[in-house]
Amino acid sequence: MPSRPSPMALQSSSPYPSIFKKKSTSTMPTAASYLSAVSEADARARAHGANGSTPGSTPALSLSSSVTSSSEDTVLDESGLEFNDGLSYPRTPPTSEQVFTTVHSEFGHCANEKYRYTSQHRAGTQYKSYPEQDPPYYILLTTYLSYLLVICLGHIRDFFGKRLRPSHYKHLVSQNGYAALNSDFDSFYTRRLKTRIDDCFSHPVTGVPGRTIVMLDRYSPDYNVTMVPTGTRTRGLNVSSYNYLGFAEAKGPCADAVESSVNRYGVSACGSRLEGGTLDLHQQAEALVARFVGQEDALISSMGFATNSTIIPALVSKGCLVISDELNHASIRFGVRLSGANVRMFKHNDMNALEELLREVVSQGQPKTHRPWKKILVIVEGLFSMEGTLANLPIIMDLKKKYKFYLFVDEAHSIGALGPHGRGVADYFGINPRHIDILMGTFTKSFGAAGGYISGNKVLVDRLRVHGHTGPYAEAMSPPVLTQVIASMASIMGISSGLEKDKLNALVLPAKSEEYPGLVPVSALPSWMPVAPTMADGSDGLMRLRRLAFNARYLNRGLRKLGFITYGCDDSPVIPLLLFNPGKMAVFSRMMRTRAVPIVVVVVAYPATPLVTSRVRFCLSAAHTKEDIDTVLIACDEIGDLLDLKQGQGERWPLKEIINRAVELVAMPETD
Amino acid sequence: MSTTSSSLEPFFTLVSQSLQTIETNFYKIPGSAVIARYVRSSHRDDPGRTLLEVILIIFAIRTLLQSRTKAETSGKHFIKFSEQEIDDLVEEWVPEPLAQPLSPTDQADLDAVPVISGPTGPKPKLMNGKTVINLASYNFTALSGNAEIKERCVETLRKYGLGSCGPPGFYGTQDVHIQLEQDIADFLGTEGSIVYSQAFSTISSVIPAFCKRGDIIVADRGVNFAIQKGLQISRCTVRWYDHNDMGSLEKVLEAVEKERRKKKLPLTRRFIVTEGIFDHDGAMSDLPKLVELKLKYKYRLILDESVSFGSVGRTGRGLTELYNVPASQVDMLVGSLANGLTSCGGFCAGSHIVVKHQRINGTSFVFSAAMPAMLAVAASEGINILRSTPSILSTLQENVRAVRAILDKVDCISIPSHPASATIHITVRTATPSTPSLAPPTTPMSPHSPLSPRMQASAGAPPFDIDAEERALQEIVEEALAQGVLVTRARRLRGQELNQPRPSIRLAISAALPRRDCEKAASVLKAACVKVLARRR
Ligand SMILES: Cc1ncc(COP(=O)(O)O)c(C=O)c1O
Repeated sequence: MPSRPSPMALQSSSPYPSIFKKKSTSTMPTAASYLSAVSEADARARAHGANGSTPGSTPALSLSSSVTSSSEDTVLDESGLEFNDGLSYPRTPPTSEQVFTTVHSEFGHCANEKYRYTSQHRAGTQYKSYPEQDPPYYILLTTYLSYLLVICLGHIRDFFGKRLRPSHYKHLVSQNGYAALNSDFDSFYTRRLKTRIDDCFSHPVTGVPGRTIVMLDRYSPDYNVTMVPTGTRTRGLNVSSYNYLGFAEAKGPCADAVESSVNRYGVSACGSRLEGGTLDLHQQAEALVARFVGQEDALISSMGFATNSTIIPALVSKGCLVISDELNHASIRFGVRLSGANVRMFKHNDMNALEELLREVVSQGQPKTHRPWKKILVIVEGLFSMEGTLANLPIIMDLKKKYKFYLFVDEAHSIGALGPHGRGVADYFGINPRHIDILMGTFTKSFGAAGGYISGNKVLVDRLRVHGHTGPYAEAMSPPVLTQVIASMASIMGISSGLEKDKLNALVLPAKSEEYPGLVPVSALPSWMPVAPTMADGSDGLMRLRRLAFNARYLNRGLRKLGFITYGCDDSPVIPLLLFNPGKMAVFSRMMRTRAVPIVVVVVAYPATPLVTSRVRFCLSAAHTKEDIDTVLIACDEIGDLLDLKQGQGERWPLKEIINRAVELVAMPETD
Repeated sequence: MSTTSSSLEPFFTLVSQSLQTIETNFYKIPGSAVIARYVRSSHRDDPGRTLLEVILIIFAIRTLLQSRTKAETSGKHFIKFSEQEIDDLVEEWVPEPLAQPLSPTDQADLDAVPVISGPTGPKPKLMNGKTVINLASYNFTALSGNAEIKERCVETLRKYGLGSCGPPGFYGTQDVHIQLEQDIADFLGTEGSIVYSQAFSTISSVIPAFCKRGDIIVADRGVNFAIQKGLQISRCTVRWYDHNDMGSLEKVLEAVEKERRKKKLPLTRRFIVTEGIFDHDGAMSDLPKLVELKLKYKYRLILDESVSFGSVGRTGRGLTELYNVPASQVDMLVGSLANGLTSCGGFCAGSHIVVKHQRINGTSFVFSAAMPAMLAVAASEGINILRSTPSILSTLQENVRAVRAILDKVDCISIPSHPASATIHITVRTATPSTPSLAPPTTPMSPHSPLSPRMQASAGAPPFDIDAEERALQEIVEEALAQGVLVTRARRLRGQELNQPRPSIRLAISAALPRRDCEKAASVLKAACVKVLARRR
């Protein structure tokens, strides 16, 4: 496709010679016997794609180009080392009946219909997240001790450092009449604690952040002060990206749609929404989002963070009260602070604390004056990204009726990732979304795009369009990103061409629901957008939802059965595994990264979590196969023994049994 | 009497015993003797002081124990209610509706927002099928719809997919982001740069990353909304100087320094915050003078080049190129990739230390997903094109001159924008010739923002009628649209902006339009202005 070398490749000063390295056509690797099976399957997929995917009037333009480019691109990617680690190619080559249209390294091949589940709250039961377990005292003690140790060491090093190597501290102290940008005191934590394990953060990557991810290897000659790229790459199993539904793909119907959109629209809307940056595509996407989340109207902003930070000030102001879960995301706090409203916090997900607080604030009114509050807005997240817990919506809805507050649910992580229809926590709990005043979410996660939305009734959304900061000042969302949103949402919802037979062909979603009116009429989509048949009948989206639900439940329960302490709800695709000791974070991350099948994990510690509960966080995806989850379980089992992490209570199963009885494990009802 | 004292006997012995144990144990603590001696002697010298110190200690402990968000249950304003009373109060309380319907003017404004059908560009098609000349969209450098960029983007899509699916700290940093940051730094000549995923959210995170409570910011009264929000979040002390007035700036700097000397305040971080070309009126800062002042008074300079990056200078590097000031003289140079390079996102360029600090402290960098790889590549490619094609900027400047040549001659409007600015603001000319383009503040930003008292004192009604002018300008916009020219009023959040900027029509000139079209559009606009404003007189 690239007819001439990229100008970026010509720039010699760059440390990365070229990101668009020309694909060499002659590097057919030697593992030919194995590959022949794969390429046969690939050919089958092509044939399948070619004869089946020209629906109705849509041009096959982008489809043909994708097939030619991606097969050499993603199959014959890197060195020959990768053939048997199960990352680039399935360990068992596909049988002749199986047709996989996805690239295994992006979206794993999994044909076994048993490895599916439906993410849904069981009616009649109470939601409760798995009880948070405390570790034994010696773990707590050693955790505090290790913090104490590194802090002391840090101070000793600072003490001598400042005297022996003052030049290293120059930027931390006032000089020439300038106060330090960042004083040595303020930066102590970063310099002396975080730097020690900096190799576990901000690791540069390349390629699709799908089922696997390619890390650009680096090393540090000076204890993590600087990082030097080595020029080599490592592919690892990716349990870190927020790719819940596996829409991070360079091939497939969504990518095809995005390609035609780039060709048609370019990349920019050139301005803010109210100043000439509104395209037809924005309106189509907003209508689709509203339909998807089950609200009357929606508005889209080009950044998820900014959706909160620039819209909340238009919702509340002085004289209003915001009640916020203590673990709410930084963007929510940012927005609330800008709004000028009063804020009160309640203990994470503690509904008794919330009710107590509500009784207090409603009865007391505004501070000092005791005037009644103008309005009270409760802000919670649907799925808490560091905890894996869900907002306890059933109880919150009851409280809402009684205390008359407005409810804002940030569904950044839950939209797409939870519920039988993928419509987030309300769907999961079977609550009518229109009973929630404001549903906010982002496209960066489940939809593999960028930006965010706010939805609610039309009066509200129109008000936010005019009075939010986004409308007049922030750049509008870029057309290819909008297209990714439209294509991925449409493929979850299914598309109807308006004909009756079409409806019959469409897969019936579990438990037909009035809130989520099934198929999108094709007229609601851009007419130029190519539509693949799997998108149209909703089978693609449904498969993603069901695979994610299985994976999440399997790993959650598997880890508990192995004896680990994890937080959160069984159905949450975000799974924090508690490590406690800060030192174990680095070791865990490094051991996972350097395994025969490298696993890429995220570790988090203070200040993102409380001081003692350092953790590793797995984010699962529909793109993972059961074998991938097995791989993670095996790795955790080994490392967990080494690092003494298995401190959980409750029944344990041996690893073999977990792997063999996975389906049974997932199907087991919630324990009480 | 005696019975009570005898029944209390065991209690007294217990008290005296425990006091004794406490005392002996206290003396076992090393250094306790010193403290005891100090307390004793100070009590002998000045009994009042002991009392004071005890109170102080109790107070300190109380403040320490009091959590900030939970002060009210015990406060003196707390009223105790019975459960029944609370239930009644809950029953009685009627909240305001979450959102009031829009006012008719707001609704009309919203309905008047033009919607482009298909791609935007110099001559887009609107929803009603009409093709118009576009003087509204930010496409200074004509990169929108550029074929090379599109091709590069599709390649990127096929390699990276679209989204980055993670914040930069957690595997969201892709090689294309590193490349883009390097490209920006090379282009501007700074040590490094950092890319945020939305231009508007860039500076409102950059400012609070560096400026904390107690720090001093000296800012132009006319700064844009994003900067205002950044100042508000940072909670530092803000001093304002008159819009684009270097004399006023120097006075404020002098005053701050004097105050610091007089009160013997410790040295804190000090910043000058201003814009390259102002978003509110298109005026241009005198960068050499700014640099001179910041060096003289030892301030750091935060310069927002969101409008000027990609629109002035020989190759679009912005004010630093125009004035030939090394970009390293600007401590934090913030720009927009959306306006200048028709991609998405913003950046902050500066020294390694400045950049590294933001990677941990820039809120909207840390807590938001990295921008899609495709958009990063589009921006990199845009820089490449600018670098190799200086004719883009000369065309742009010619177009600006062509438009100004026509509009400058119109009596009924005035243009506060700098002649080289590619955004041109058109305001209604009022009878008094020297109306400032910026009204003094009408409302303090928020009750708890620590603004200088002086600035709040000068509050008063703006000397222009905002509603009437906005209506007139909107009429001009609609008249021009009827004649096939797309322009837009500068949209402002009235009531939320710190100072009420003068209502204006904001043109964004593009190098993509042939000069003829620019002239034609300017003439149409001129006719519209004359027609509408003459009618009003
Ligand atoms: C709850 C919540 N809200 C908002 C955001 C910001 O979204 P984005 O990354 O799209 O800016 C995040 C992302 O991490 C989040 O977790």
